[in-house]
Amino acid sequence: MKASPKLTNDVFAATDRLPPIKLKKLTKSNIVIRTTMIVLAVLTVYGFVTFNNQKLNFWQNLFATFANFRTIFFQPHFNHFTFSQAFEGVLITLALGLLTTIVGAVVAFFLSLLAAENLTNKTISNSVKTLVAIIRAVPTVLWVLIFAIAAGLGSVAAVIGMSFHSISYLTKAYSESFEELDEGVIEALKATGAGWWQIVFQSIVPNSLTSLISWTFMRFEVNFGVAVAMGAAAGAGGIGYEMFMSGVFYFDIREMGTITYFILAIAIILEIISIQIKARIRA
Amino acid sequence: MTTLLEMKNVSKKYGNGTVALSDVSFSVNEGEFVSVIGPSGAGKSTLLRCINQMIQATDGEIIFDDVNVMGFKGRALRQMRTKMGMIFQNYNLVERLSVIENVLHGRLGYKSMLAGSLGLFTDDEKRQAYRLLEKLGLKEQIYRRCDQLSGGQKQRVGIARALIQNPKLMLCDEPIASLDPSSSKTIMDHLKDISDSLKITVLINLHQVDVAMNYADRIIGVSKGSIVFNGVPSELTNDNIKAIYGSDAEKLMINVEDQGRMKAAEK
Repeated sequence: MKASPKLTNDVFAATDRLPPIKLKKLTKSNIVIRTTMIVLAVLTVYGFVTFNNQKLNFWQNLFATFANFRTIFFQPHFNHFTFSQAFEGVLITLALGLLTTIVGAVVAFFLSLLAAENLTNKTISNSVKTLVAIIRAVPTVLWVLIFAIAAGLGSVAAVIGMSFHSISYLTKAYSESFEELDEGVIEALKATGAGWWQIVFQSIVPNSLTSLISWTFMRFEVNFGVAVAMGAAAGAGGIGYEMFMSGVFYFDIREMGTITYFILAIAIILEIISIQIKARIRA
Repeated sequence: MTTLLEMKNVSKKYGNGTVALSDVSFSVNEGEFVSVIGPSGAGKSTLLRCINQMIQATDGEIIFDDVNVMGFKGRALRQMRTKMGMIFQNYNLVERLSVIENVLHGRLGYKSMLAGSLGLFTDDEKRQAYRLLEKLGLKEQIYRRCDQLSGGQKQRVGIARALIQNPKLMLCDEPIASLDPSSSKTIMDHLKDISDSLKITVLINLHQVDVAMNYADRIIGVSKGSIVFNGVPSELTNDNIKAIYGSDAEKLMINVEDQGRMKAAEK
């Protein structure tokens, strides 16, 4: 056996004769990260300095904007619709978000089984992952507009497009939760003679159920926001469409304020529910 | 005594040329308690996993219960695996499920795809699970979630999961490597009991030579993918240890000859 070097009192001796010691090694990735940060900082400053402000007075316009905000948020009113109509609009938007989340969750569950590396082989997993990555790279709005070519602008295109994007998003989220399960657990169940579906429902699902629920709910919140935007951009109806009409057709910014409060209220309620769900399922 | 398992010239080579097992042959009798010892990376785990074909051996014959099970696939493979229980160093339980649910997983190999997936177990199976847990001293814990158990308790759940399969062979992959000495003893005593009273053959990978000598009917020493020792514990000499571990016994802080003599004297 080789004797390990013995510690002597030198380790505490004066160290001022040693050269300065760097804590971080200058690796390739460190250099790339630093260069990127510096370039971004320079570009940011350059961008602000060379704004083309068309001779507008910055401060004057800033105050004008705040004046508009004040009108929107402190003097909201109903003009083209009643409270119950606005409420109905909110429900339509919520329904749009819920429907696309459910469609997305169901399809994504099965796709993510194929995408999880510990459940299939690398080839299948990588091809499914690449496919959903491509789908995810295109924003939801664009997918809705793409499907609008076939289905026409409206709720049908919105549902298909939003579901499409939800599927790819949830597939990634779900498959990553599935992959967190220790390889050994799958091995143990295989060793009992269990089949693939039995392994999925007896180990993968119970172990990742909490993260599946929280990812799904998070996507529901995202889809609610997208559904508002789709009402405006794709004529999918709901509160977003009302907002679009008030803003672009009637120029009624006070009514926009009312709608904003409606959406805000729903967003807060969703957030509260989400916190509640998370607290319950952790236990 | 009848032979339960016979390995004939079993080899395992990986695609990149690494040889994990080369020409391994041995046989194990029914009810025997056999311990496999050897340094890390010698191929102990591979050897165990070749038997229930979690790893496919590349060459040789594996005769289990008078049938050559090499190359079994699908239904036949699953059926064969139900006859071999397996326990692991890291217990490998589904942490978020209860103790009894984990034990019932041992019945999955006997169930249809749907019944197994939905977790529909018969009353008989549930009673059997309860009785096993009672025997292993986990009666109070049956509804506890497995992530709340101690290491020793988890390993006992693992044993119950393997036993409910009604196996002929127990494969144990370093079951006490992550346990404290007292839990280790409990687990080893249970395994010994399984082999003595239930007549289930136990094949166990161990790091602790002294534990192997205390419990095993026979010791198989593995080094670099080959068997270098196969005999009863009292035959194990310091030279054998050198052949298995590649260094002198004193440097490993063990002296098997003393221990062997002491054990012989006890009897």
